[in-house]
Amino acid sequence: MEKSINRRMFLGSALTALMADGARAQPIFRLGLTPVFLDNDAGVIDGLRRALSRGMGREIELVQRRTYQEVTGLLLERSLDAAWLCGYPYLQHVDLLDLVAVPVWRGGPRYQSYLIVGADDPAGDLSDLRGSTHAFSDPDSNSGYLVTATNLRRMGEQAESFFSRAIFTYGHRNVVRAVADGLVRSGSVDGYVWEALAAIEPDLTERTRVIDRSEWLGFPPVCARRDSLASEPVQALQSSLLSLAKTKEGQQALMSLQLDGFQRATPTLFDGIADRIRDLAP
Amino acid sequence: MNWFAPIPLSIKLPLLAAAMMVLVGTVASQQVLRSLAQVQDARIQELARMHVEGLSVALGPLVLRHDIWEVYDTLDRAAQGGEGRRMVLTAVADERGRVLAATDPRRVPIDSDIAALSGDAVALDGLTVDGASPVLSLLAPLSYQGRAVGQIATELDVSDLLTERRKALLYLIMGNAIAIGLLSVAGFLAIRKMLNPVTSLARQMTETHGKPRSIPASEIPPGDGELAQLARTYNAMVDAVAAKTEAERRLAERERFVALGRLSSSLAHEINNPLGGLLNATDTIRSYPDRPEVVRQSADLLDRGLRHLRDVTRATLDQNRVDPEIRVLGPDDFEDIKLLIQPEVSRLALDLSWSVDPAAVTASGIPAGPVRQIALNLLLNACAAAGKEGRVGLIACAMDGGLTLRITNTGAAMPRAALDRLLGDGPLTPGGGVGLRLVRELARKMAGTIGHANENGATRITVSLPAPMEARDAQE
Repeated sequence: MEKSINRRMFLGSALTALMADGARAQPIFRLGLTPVFLDNDAGVIDGLRRALSRGMGREIELVQRRTYQEVTGLLLERSLDAAWLCGYPYLQHVDLLDLVAVPVWRGGPRYQSYLIVGADDPAGDLSDLRGSTHAFSDPDSNSGYLVTATNLRRMGEQAESFFSRAIFTYGHRNVVRAVADGLVRSGSVDGYVWEALAAIEPDLTERTRVIDRSEWLGFPPVCARRDSLASEPVQALQSSLLSLAKTKEGQQALMSLQLDGFQRATPTLFDGIADRIRDLAP
Repeated sequence: MNWFAPIPLSIKLPLLAAAMMVLVGTVASQQVLRSLAQVQDARIQELARMHVEGLSVALGPLVLRHDIWEVYDTLDRAAQGGEGRRMVLTAVADERGRVLAATDPRRVPIDSDIAALSGDAVALDGLTVDGASPVLSLLAPLSYQGRAVGQIATELDVSDLLTERRKALLYLIMGNAIAIGLLSVAGFLAIRKMLNPVTSLARQMTETHGKPRSIPASEIPPGDGELAQLARTYNAMVDAVAAKTEAERRLAERERFVALGRLSSSLAHEINNPLGGLLNATDTIRSYPDRPEVVRQSADLLDRGLRHLRDVTRATLDQNRVDPEIRVLGPDDFEDIKLLIQPEVSRLALDLSWSVDPAAVTASGIPAGPVRQIALNLLLNACAAAGKEGRVGLIACAMDGGLTLRITNTGAAMPRAALDRLLGDGPLTPGGGVGLRLVRELARKMAGTIGHANENGATRITVSLPAPMEARDAQE
């Protein structure tokens, strides 16, 4: 109900904005979102959409899918103009994709992957979790799969055999819930998401404990197809993202996302992830 | 139930009424509780069915894909809803019974066996709030697209239903207790009032102080009901008893006078009988004063006659007193009797036949007094019955060691009243003589028997008297 009301409110305000800006002729910009951040909060999504729409001077449709793979696929087949992906799928399709911008979190464009267990769990590191249940976020997630999988590989283990059962929750918040509720013993989660949740849902994260943090890795970037990077809509998106911190709506959106802003990114930012991909390769 | 018997009816009936009300209240309460239980069972079954069916729709494809997170997420979100408060735990397993997810994963971990959870679980239709446990376990198949893809085990919290049932029970008990209490008191008073006439009747019958008393008219219930009839009937009975008592009193008084009359009559009769012979003896003495043997005989006769009178007087006055001077019967006694009736025989010109066996008379050993009275009475009666120029006879002979007297006479047969006096023990009809009844009583005293026959215009009275030894044995 809350969602539908928000949507109705949004439609009303969007219509007003379009008429005011004379942007009626502009085609809708389709931006894909992976469940990399607080995708369960419609207010956050709406805030981001409004800020970008205002900045780009056109209507934006935010497209969400359950898995990274679906969003990446939509981007590759041009059903999306751009998408907020993860470093891992970006590197998997680096020949077709290019970087539009990367979020700045706590002063830099990097984040960590957390290995979490229940608050009262005695485990000290990954090796203590042998034979237990584990929750990954998404098989195409860097922080929610790749980091733990490569850590295990570096230990000479396979995720499939090291854990008695590994499940995918297709959402970092779901990983935290699964561990907090005791559905699984441990989970691999985006450190940014866990920290953001610690601020807005402390009751949830207090039931979990971080036992391992990865090295700092490139924050999930906003990507577009290489062949459309120079197109006007993508350029408008880039401008809007880079100047998001300068507008009031943009600041509100960034605040709700607990981000500092967006900046240009270079592929070298994701070298750490690339190393892990190589380690995981058979 | 012996302890119940002594309790007064005025307590017993209200108690029974109260017990009946308790019984009715209990049965009614039982019915209410049963209906409530059925409603609750139907409610919980409907709820569980909706729960299972809803989860089947939502979880079917997820279970089929073994999507553990989605199964858990769906269960978790369902548990947050209103229905979740009833369903304290829900676990979903695949077709092999391995748990995929449960609302409480710590209690029911992934891959555990659902059988461990559903040990005492029942099927949907068997779900009943039986009051034993506040949590019910249900195990139902999870169907998707017409086939069972897994199982759903659910624990339902029915503590509120049990509380509701306990409250209903409490209210019923309190309500029934109050209602039964009021009705019992009302019933007690009503039945007590209805039983008042019976209580009054019982009091009148038990507190008689020597004689029953009538129920006052003010205490008789109005109308023509059973109790009024009972009271009136009782009063009629009391009146009848009083009347009968009065009649008995008067009858006893009259009997006393009758007895006195009979006594006087007997004395007069017994004294009068020999007087003729005695007067005859005095005449003889006067006529023949110069003949000493005649004078002596007459004096002897007078002596025996007077002694007889003395014996008769004593015997009559003291019937139960033992004769102080018991004289054994001898042939002379019969001679005396013959002399004593002689004037009557002469007056009526009777033909007297006389046969006395002296040996038998002597051997019998029977007291003389009673035999003399018997013979004299019967002979005088026979003389009177024979009439002018009739025939009268006496035979005294031995029989089985005893003595038999047979007195015969011609003339009219004995009337029925006379026979009743001689042969029966019935009450004496007024106006009759006392001689024949005296004969009967004397014979009975000696254990003798009396026979009567009337043949060919002659009446024969036979008195059989056993020897005194046999008589005593017979009397013993």
